[in-house]
Amino acid sequence: MMIVKNKTKPDLSIDFAGIKLKNPVLTASGTFGYGEEFGEFVDLNKLGGVIVKGISLNPIKGNPPPRIWETPSGMLNAIGLENPGVDVFLNEKLPYLRKFDTAVIVNMFGYSLEEYVAVAERLNGARGISGIEVNISCPNVKAGGMAFGTDLKATFELLSAIRKTTKLPVIAKLSPNVTDVTAFAKAARDAGCDGLSLINTLLGMAIDVRCRKPRLANCTGGLSGPAIRPVAVRMVWQTAKAVSLPIIGMGGIVTGEDALEFILAGASAVAVGTANFVNPRATLDVVKGIERVMIEQGVGVLSELVGKVSVP
Amino acid sequence: MNRLHQAAILSHKPMGRGYYRIVLKAPEMASSALPGQFVMVRVSDTLDPLLARPFGISSVLSKTSLEILYRVVGRGTALLAGRDRGQTLGLLGPLGKGFPLPDKKTTPVLVAGGSGFPPLHFLAQRVGSGAHLFLGSRDKESLPPTAIVKSFRDACAKVHIATEDGSAGTKGMTTDILNAFLTKMEKKSPLVLYACGPHAMLAAVGRIAAEHSIPCYVSMEERMACGLGACMGCSIPMKSGGYKRACKEGPVFDSRDIDWSERVSVKIQGSEFKVRR
Repeated sequence: MMIVKNKTKPDLSIDFAGIKLKNPVLTASGTFGYGEEFGEFVDLNKLGGVIVKGISLNPIKGNPPPRIWETPSGMLNAIGLENPGVDVFLNEKLPYLRKFDTAVIVNMFGYSLEEYVAVAERLNGARGISGIEVNISCPNVKAGGMAFGTDLKATFELLSAIRKTTKLPVIAKLSPNVTDVTAFAKAARDAGCDGLSLINTLLGMAIDVRCRKPRLANCTGGLSGPAIRPVAVRMVWQTAKAVSLPIIGMGGIVTGEDALEFILAGASAVAVGTANFVNPRATLDVVKGIERVMIEQGVGVLSELVGKVSVP
Repeated sequence: MNRLHQAAILSHKPMGRGYYRIVLKAPEMASSALPGQFVMVRVSDTLDPLLARPFGISSVLSKTSLEILYRVVGRGTALLAGRDRGQTLGLLGPLGKGFPLPDKKTTPVLVAGGSGFPPLHFLAQRVGSGAHLFLGSRDKESLPPTAIVKSFRDACAKVHIATEDGSAGTKGMTTDILNAFLTKMEKKSPLVLYACGPHAMLAAVGRIAAEHSIPCYVSMEERMACGLGACMGCSIPMKSGGYKRACKEGPVFDSRDIDWSERVSVKIQGSEFKVRR
């Protein structure tokens, strides 16, 4: 096939489960605060959207420090879902985000099915929310989080209950800490979810050999950063083949090329996570990087690349 | 104000006792930085090591340049030590809240332990010549580089030194000579304490300050990834319950607000992405 060189600005817009994104680049939950933390570095109007740090019904104090540890091309974290609770989010955090022409996807979680549903109810009526991302995959809390996301029946029941609660698009954030991620993707589809996010962090551990103690007070933590990218791309690829739901791909994205790996593997959108910590303007770099590759490859419309990895 | 920079290295030299002094050209930072604030430095443009390292600002040298003093404690600082004059470093800052400055009537008393002296060096230069500095370490070789001790002597009314083995200054703990000094001085002038160093020392200084009813500001360290309040890594336990972020609400806190009991004092080796002092 002849590649047509097209120097005009390519079309990066994507319709993700009914959410209009001007480009596929979102921020991964927990790495971008509630947007305001990055306001001096990033014009949020230039992002596809912001996925905010996870919100629960009541404020959560989080885990004791040390909470993070750097590893080769990555980091472990065990923050413990610290957040100010849904009321503070709606009253103090969301008004800032409403000022921008960008999609706002609210990551949320609970410690019981009832709590998840209660948060979904509170978010349902709020103006300026484009969708909810249900965290069933945090590796750092004992109850809730991954306890749901690693049990097929619990995943189905929880997501079904949330689906019935809200009119907003429901995106399930899946755990990579399972044998077969596609089984959970199917459970989410059967529960009526509109989209999937993958992957959350991989459960990991680091030890101080001289103190003979874990590096994190929580002992284990979630591994993120470029170190996990190949695992994430593989899981997106497997999931995209197994279910037809649109996918937000994430895991170690730093450049436009990284993002395009996920898109070719089958993701319709991507989220930049740990890279925000290293370079507060990482999201904008990824948008520009995607554009550059599209121009170079003569691709006019980004959606044409979704799932287009050619497999022998 | 733009806080994300590529800063040229103007000078980079070993200072002795394992420390390096790096001078960076960063005009916006130099004009706005306050004592107690810190910067995140990317020691390499590659993805390993991934995270930037926090360093307390040790001095603003001119309208366009600032100084960082650091010790090589791990891979990141070793890589930083290899960067040469003329190269540039990715820099984010100034970050965090600095030390509240004293009024003219109040005598500032600075307490530095271990490698905690750099932000106090900047503070000493800003608070005038009435300040007293207390320096404590295991032994003479663990004190700040001699040029820095001299610089403190130039800036302060007096530098008081204590070493655990008695190889320099008074034999014993800084907190002992500090306690005696406060007892003597508190009758003459209002005092304020500023401390930076190991957790156990800060807790002890906070206790002494409370006994003397003297306000005390401590600069806390904890591992951090972003420096912007997003990663939630650098949590400092508060007496009122919950945590505050060293990078955003800190790194300087009123010692009375901190829950000193929560964290069991552990020696963290080779952990360099804490605010370094």
